[in-house]
Amino acid sequence: MKEKDAYIDYEPQQLVLYVEKEDGSYGPIQTGSYISKNYLDDFWEKMVKLRVSLLEQLKKNEITPVYYYKMIHDFNDLELSRRTGISLFKVKRHQKVNKFKSIKLSDLQRYAYAFDVPVANLLQIIAFDEKEKLPDTEDDSSSQSMVKQTKTDNPFVVITKFEVNQK
Amino acid sequence: MIIDTFTHHMAAHCESGTLTALLKHNGLEISEPMIFGIGSGLYFGYLSHTPSLNFPMFIIRTKPGQLRKKIAKRTDIQFKTQKFRNKDKAEQTLDQLIAQKIPVAVQVDFYYMDYIPQWERVHANIHFITVVGKEGDEYIVSDSYYPQLARLHKDKLRKARFAGGYMAPKGFMYYIESIPERIDYKNLIPKAIKNTIHNMIGIQPGFIGVRGIRLFSKKVQQWPKLTRDIDHLSHEIMKINVFLEDQGTGGGGFRYLYATFLRLASELFSDKDLNDMSKKMMEIGDGWRNISYFAAKIGKNRDLGPEKLNELGNMIMQRADEEDKFYKELKEVIRKY
Repeated sequence: MKEKDAYIDYEPQQLVLYVEKEDGSYGPIQTGSYISKNYLDDFWEKMVKLRVSLLEQLKKNEITPVYYYKMIHDFNDLELSRRTGISLFKVKRHQKVNKFKSIKLSDLQRYAYAFDVPVANLLQIIAFDEKEKLPDTEDDSSSQSMVKQTKTDNPFVVITKFEVNQK
Repeated sequence: MIIDTFTHHMAAHCESGTLTALLKHNGLEISEPMIFGIGSGLYFGYLSHTPSLNFPMFIIRTKPGQLRKKIAKRTDIQFKTQKFRNKDKAEQTLDQLIAQKIPVAVQVDFYYMDYIPQWERVHANIHFITVVGKEGDEYIVSDSYYPQLARLHKDKLRKARFAGGYMAPKGFMYYIESIPERIDYKNLIPKAIKNTIHNMIGIQPGFIGVRGIRLFSKKVQQWPKLTRDIDHLSHEIMKINVFLEDQGTGGGGFRYLYATFLRLASELFSDKDLNDMSKKMMEIGDGWRNISYFAAKIGKNRDLGPEKLNELGNMIMQRADEEDKFYKELKEVIRKY
């Protein structure tokens, strides 16, 4: 690849490419990500669509929170079992709506750790005004509102704060 | 405390970048392509049935950790490696080394590197960063994929070092113990190249090397059967671009990095034939880059009918033919050493 063809102006995601330079030598350049610059909107669109669809199913009690987060994090059952230390049999069971009610709190804690969310978020959808939020994300900084969740010493209790962005 | 003698640089790939940075810090002048080449990092594998993965994937470099092991074996550079069961002990050991001003490479789940943009971060237990300091509850880390030194909260680093699952890091870390006074590059480069040739066209399972590329070219046309809907198919097809260009390859699925290594080798041996091979490898990389652009385009347009996937498959098959020819030629060039 020629150096002049390699430069992508995209500051948020930089990477190193090896190219043929003007003088014929080969070496590294720092440039932006081609796919992020040109196709990031499409990526977000697909992710939001997937989340909204899963959220609808979650609200209708067609799927369990374990299934919801498993899909969001792109784990399969075996990977989830390995990451949580919960048996594969139980992981499958916890994705069945009629079995989820008998889940142990200690198992919920393990799932929450693997999904990197507070335990409370496995059992709630956080909403702000009219806009329904997704349980594991915060609004971006350009938004008017923000949801901040802070851990406490109690592993089962989290402080959820709604903040208005002053910017 | 920050190890102020450590110089941060971005690199094409996290493993070779981390190794290069540590070696440079310890006084060895070596480039990333040389590390990648003498560690025989170039590879291809099509993994259709990995139990922990949701979807088939292809790999374009050797297994994480192999690069370091091969470098150690071939150059006599001594690495101190350690895994941990106890998270507290892992943190204490890391802290003690940092206090002694020893930069330490750690294996982590990439997802927890929260200084990286959110869209880039996926769960992958095969990322390497170098820890070069600690201030309060934050570690100062050098990540090949980030332009500056970054800060990472100790809780995040702990989670990242002890994420479970496929290729779980188990707190793995390493640092350099010693570097030999002299490294005989002229002796080890031919060995490393022969190893790469063996990986690509030697006797290997059908999903490895050039045969793996051929398998990929056929299997990609069957991906619609494996996906939930058109968006899912589009996502997986566009990931071809990410794997080839964005996920630390130096572009063209590591082929540009390897071309640079061959160029360096040709200069060392003053060998015109090796120089010609480096140019050919650069062209092979261009072919892979075209595939990645094509995949991104048809994915975005949801133009994923049998015709387009067939076209994509043919482009990949053409890479297999080119690479097959290339390694056979390279085998002849390197035979004299």
